[in-house]
Amino acid sequence: MNLRNVEYLIQEAFIGIWRNGIMAVASISIVALSMAIFGAFLLLVLGSHNFVERQLARFEIAVYLPVGESRQKAIEVRDQIRALPLARKVTLMSREKEWASFKRRMNTEIDLGGVTGNPLPYALHIESKDSRKTSRLADQIRHINGVAHVTDSRETYGRVKAVADLVKILGFAAALVLCFTTIFIISNAIRLTLFARRHEIQIMQLVGATNWFIRIPLVLEGIILGAMGALIAGGLISLGSGYIVNVVQERFPPLLRDISSGVDSRQFSMSLAMAGAFIGALGSFVSIRRFLRT
Amino acid sequence: MIEFCSASLVYPNGVKALSDVNLRVGRGEFVFLVGPSGSGKSSLLKLIYRELFPSQGKVFVAGQDVTAIPRNAVPYLRRRIGVVFQDFKLLPQKTVWENLAFVLRVISVPRREIRKRISEALDLVGMIHRCDSFPAELSGGEQQRASIARALVNNPPILIADEPTGNLDPDTSWGIIQILSRINARGTTVFVATHDNQVVDRLMRRVVALDNGLIIRDQDRGMYHHVPEPESLCNSEPQEC
Repeated sequence: MNLRNVEYLIQEAFIGIWRNGIMAVASISIVALSMAIFGAFLLLVLGSHNFVERQLARFEIAVYLPVGESRQKAIEVRDQIRALPLARKVTLMSREKEWASFKRRMNTEIDLGGVTGNPLPYALHIESKDSRKTSRLADQIRHINGVAHVTDSRETYGRVKAVADLVKILGFAAALVLCFTTIFIISNAIRLTLFARRHEIQIMQLVGATNWFIRIPLVLEGIILGAMGALIAGGLISLGSGYIVNVVQERFPPLLRDISSGVDSRQFSMSLAMAGAFIGALGSFVSIRRFLRT
Repeated sequence: MIEFCSASLVYPNGVKALSDVNLRVGRGEFVFLVGPSGSGKSSLLKLIYRELFPSQGKVFVAGQDVTAIPRNAVPYLRRRIGVVFQDFKLLPQKTVWENLAFVLRVISVPRREIRKRISEALDLVGMIHRCDSFPAELSGGEQQRASIARALVNNPPILIADEPTGNLDPDTSWGIIQILSRINARGTTVFVATHDNQVVDRLMRRVVALDNGLIIRDQDRGMYHHVPEPESLCNSEPQEC
C-alpha cells in the first residue's frame, strides 16, 4: 500500500462519517453518554477514596509526658518525634489552654475548687505520614525517653479502615463492571453503524478491494467516532465537576480539599479520548471481521 | 477465456443449482445465458468471480483454476472481471465518479490516470453529465449505465452482466445492450445472463440455455427460444473440457 492510498483511505474515513451523518451522530452520542457516566463514576470513586484516606490520616497519636515535666523536656520530646521519618505534623499542646478548656467543660460536673495550679501534663498531637503506619509510629514514640503514655486509637482506626477498605473495593469493582459495560455498549454502537453498511462492504469486495483496503477507513471511522464521543464525555464531566466544586466551595468550603479526586481534568479528558478511540478501533476491527468473512 | 469443467453446485439447503456444467467461452465472445428464473444463471455467473464455490468440478478464468485460488487472492481475480448486477450495486454514499474512482484506487492507479479513465468510461455509457450525482438521484437506466462504466473502467478482459436489463423498460434495455455490444467490439469478452427475449432475439449472438441447472442448448447465433435449424442443432452438444 503506497502513500497515495494512505491519504485516500484517511480521506475516505472522514467522508464516510460525514455522509453517514445520522449513524455517526447516534454513535457519538452513545459513546459520549456511556463514557460520561463511566468517567463521572470513576471520579466519584477516586474522590471517595481520597476522602477516606484523608480522614484516616487525621487519626492522631496523643503523647503525654509525666505530670510535672518541664516545658523544656516537652520541646525535646517534640523535636525527637519530629525527627522520626513517619511523623508528619507534631504539635505541642498548650497546657494552659487545655486546663482552661477542661475546667470549662467539667465545671458543672466536678468540683475543681480544691485543685491548685495546673495538674495536666504536657501533651503532643502527632499525625502520621501514612495512615496505615500510625500504630508503628506510636510504638516508635513509646521508646522515646520522657514519654509517659501514648494513645493511637488503634481499635477505632482498625474498624474505620476495614469499612473504608470494603467501600474502596466495592467502588472499584463497580467501576470495573461499568467499564466493561461501557466497552460493550460502545462496541455495539460501532457494530450497528457497520451493520448498516454491510452491503457497502459486500460491494467493495465484489469490485476487487482487499480486506485491508475496506477495513482501514472503517477502523479509522471507529477511532474518530470513539474519540469524539469520549471528548464530549470529557467536556460534560469537566462542566459537571466544575459545577459541583462551585456548590461545595460556597456551602461546605472545608470539604473541598477532601472530596477532590486529585485528577487533572485535561489529562482525564485526554485519557478518556484515548480510551474511546481504542474501544472504537477494537469494536470496528472485530465487527468488520465478521462482515468480511462472507 | 472462461471454462466450466463438470461444474456442479448444491446449496447448503440441498437445492441443486447446477449439474455437471461443461462450457467454454472464448476470448472476445459475446454470450447470452438464458433460461427461466431459478434455472441457475446467476449461480453460474457467481462461480466465475468466486462469489460461490462449485460443489464439484472446476472453473477456469484466463487459464487459472478459480476453485484453487486462496481466499486472500480472490480480490485480484475480481479485478480482472467487470461485473454488472441487476440491482446495480453502486456504493450509495459515493457519487458516480467516486464509485468508479474506488475501483481504480483499489488497484493504485495514479490520480491523473484515474481522471482520464473515468472520463472515457462515462463517455462510453453517456453518463459524463451525471458524474457528480449519487445513485439515489439517478433513474434505473442511469444507475445501470454507471454500473457498466464501473465494471469496465479498469479495462477488464471479461465483463459479466447478471440480468442487466431486469429492472428497465424496453428502450432503456436496448440502450444497455448496445453499450455492452460496443464494449464487446473493443475485444472484451461479454457474458450476459438474461431472460429478456427481445434483446436476445434482436442481437442474434451465441445463446447458452439453462434449465434446472443443466445446459440444454448452446447455439452460435441463437434466439431466446429454441428454433430448430439443422445448423444450430449441430452446435447444441455441450462442449467437452
